Amino acid sequence: MDDNRIATHPILTWDRGTPVRVTYDGRQITAYPRETVAMALYAAGVKQYSTSSRFYRPRGMFCAIGKCSSCMMRVDGIPNTRTCVLQVQDGMDVETQHGDGKFPDVQAAMKGVKEKNAEVLVVGGGPAGLEASLWAAKAGADVILLDQNPQLGGQLVKQTHKFFGSAKENAGTRGITIAKKLIEEVVATPSITVYSGFTAFGWFQGAVCAADQDHAVLFQPRKVIVATGAAEKMLMFRNNDMPGVFGAGAAQTLMNVYGIKPGNKVLMVGAGNVGLIVSYQLMQAGIEVVGVVEGAPRVGGYLVHASKIARNGVRIMTRHTVLEAVGSDHVEAAIVAEVDEKWQPIPGTEQRVECDTICLSAGLKPSTELLEQAKLDLAYTGELGGWVAKRNWAMRTSNPDIFAAGDASGVEEASTAMMEGKIAGLQAAYDLGHTDVPVEEQKETRYNLDDLRAGPFGAKICIGLKCVEVLE
Amino acid sequence: MNHFETGVIDLAYLRDNGFLPSEERQRKGPVAVIECIQEIPCNPCVSACKFDAIGMDGINGIPHVDFAKCTGCMSCLKVCPGLAIFIQDKSKVKPSVTVPYEYLPLPVRGGTVTLLGRDGASLGSATVKFVLAADTMSRSSLIAVEFDDSTLCEQVRNIRVG
Amino acid sequence: MTREDEKTIACRCEDISVQEIKDAIHEGYADLQSLKRYVKFGLGPCQGKTCILLAAQILAREMGQTLDQIMTPTTRPPVDPVPIGFFVKGKEADDEK
Repeated sequence: MDDNRIATHPILTWDRGTPVRVTYDGRQITAYPRETVAMALYAAGVKQYSTSSRFYRPRGMFCAIGKCSSCMMRVDGIPNTRTCVLQVQDGMDVETQHGDGKFPDVQAAMKGVKEKNAEVLVVGGGPAGLEASLWAAKAGADVILLDQNPQLGGQLVKQTHKFFGSAKENAGTRGITIAKKLIEEVVATPSITVYSGFTAFGWFQGAVCAADQDHAVLFQPRKVIVATGAAEKMLMFRNNDMPGVFGAGAAQTLMNVYGIKPGNKVLMVGAGNVGLIVSYQLMQAGIEVVGVVEGAPRVGGYLVHASKIARNGVRIMTRHTVLEAVGSDHVEAAIVAEVDEKWQPIPGTEQRVECDTICLSAGLKPSTELLEQAKLDLAYTGELGGWVAKRNWAMRTSNPDIFAAGDASGVEEASTAMMEGKIAGLQAAYDLGHTDVPVEEQKETRYNLDDLRAGPFGAKICIGLKCVEVLE
Repeated sequence: MNHFETGVIDLAYLRDNGFLPSEERQRKGPVAVIECIQEIPCNPCVSACKFDAIGMDGINGIPHVDFAKCTGCMSCLKVCPGLAIFIQDKSKVKPSVTVPYEYLPLPVRGGTVTLLGRDGASLGSATVKFVLAADTMSRSSLIAVEFDDSTLCEQVRNIRVG
Repeated sequence: MTREDEKTIACRCEDISVQEIKDAIHEGYADLQSLKRYVKFGLGPCQGKTCILLAAQILAREMGQTLDQIMTPTTRPPVDPVPIGFFVKGKEADDEK
């Protein structure tokens, strides 16, 4: 049987534990306790998880972080189970889902919905949510932190590169090290209660309902900080749903969180920082990057990231786009072509690039569903990735009890997300009368945040912020 | 081809804009070359330098090495998130370059590796002078390679093991 | 040479192609809310986390608009798939509260 697990890595080690038995379509596969179902299947060489509902097209994973529906399978008789965020258990029975889900075989063991009061409710345990929780707690508030993944940290847990930014604020330290430190601090803070594996699925007149597989809680918070992150943007090309086409973030989750090879020959689409960094990380995991395709005439991310992969012989193809994923039930190649100034493919320039994986890093879209349900004022701001909430300088939205922070408030990067989280967490606590942290701390963080954004790379963000940072 | 299209930094640009130390300075001893030519919000190299040899105008500024103050101590190489700093040394019998390296397997001292340029093309082979394995998880390993042709100092920016 | 046709998928949950969205726009569904109701993208388990923006991009392009002129459609709970039993069971007494 295939085993796509990575044995040695220059930065990471994985403590996998003792294998458990999982049945997949009637055959046994090896899985490890910390793996989710989708990851264990991928490690065993399974790339198709379902057949689509109308066109019966093969589907594999796309986001790998519980945002999309591409990894849904039938697990222990329950259809439509999101396998990328569900951890394996010994004896689990996983089946490919063909078309619409079959009716469940089992009676669910779920409890009724409990109600819980919360002073500050933080939704999302990534860099912004962790900092928001910590600083709200430091200021004196009681905090409940919800996170939909099996482990806290959001996307920080897969950032194996050293962070840019200010030496005062973690620069030069790898994201995974920062994540570990923040998570330990949150877990050690008695006034923070963590609900891991809980998805916040709805806003009900000031209450937030969240659930895991068999518990649901209706939180009645006084202040809510929404730090739900962002979802990978999709690109439109033929067969863009074929197994083997997935987000660059999904590749990072596979290799950096779970130690599983996303593929053997990867084509990266997008030369922004995410595309460049993930290309480098793929090579660190021993995977060949066959090229980086970028529609723009120049690299969008930092030149140092581009240079890092260029000096390993990776070809960056600016002014190029992907036209088609080629294969039957899995990617076997990509058709790429040159584009003109209007990003239209130039006929006659098509070329076939052999690869088994196409990673998309076309940017991220803020996850604002809860903010939309709360009927906040939102504005489409292309510079920030999509529709984002209007707010004041301290991340307070048009509803004074709701704050937004991190990518959910506009896509930037982890260092700025942490600072926004801190500012929002402190403000939520101040608004409740908790003042154990002096306001100068918050003001200084905001000053440092503006400083980080003062260069040419921050200029675009600042244009976006002018449209949304409009409240008093 | 412009470096913003390919990621391959143009050597002439570095030379013309003061990013490279003089021949004379390189013959005196090891010296850091920072190939970070774009204004990005990042400054750990400045505080890593014990000799106050790296100047930067604000966090979005471009780092400039004062080659007279730089001792080639390599502290900045370990922390640079862009892996954009290298040491060039033409003071010894055999010229050498030190590069940050984050792949497996690490080369071994005395072993032979392939030298790679900014575009990843082979520049021949060389002997590994020393290997400084990462001392903490946040650091990068540093590999020094020595060779005969001193003109390679400006060109070698990576190695391939085997 | 086209990148987009019936084999280019906009909404994975409901299996909606880019071509179907374009056709609907040319039939006259010229705002995102009615386009969503008619074509049914964004109504599956993930509630449009990927496709709403794609549909907005297609709409903007076909109508010669910019994205800031396009209103987001209404989002409703559940924004993430959860077992339907919670809604059936309803609230339960909690002594901790």
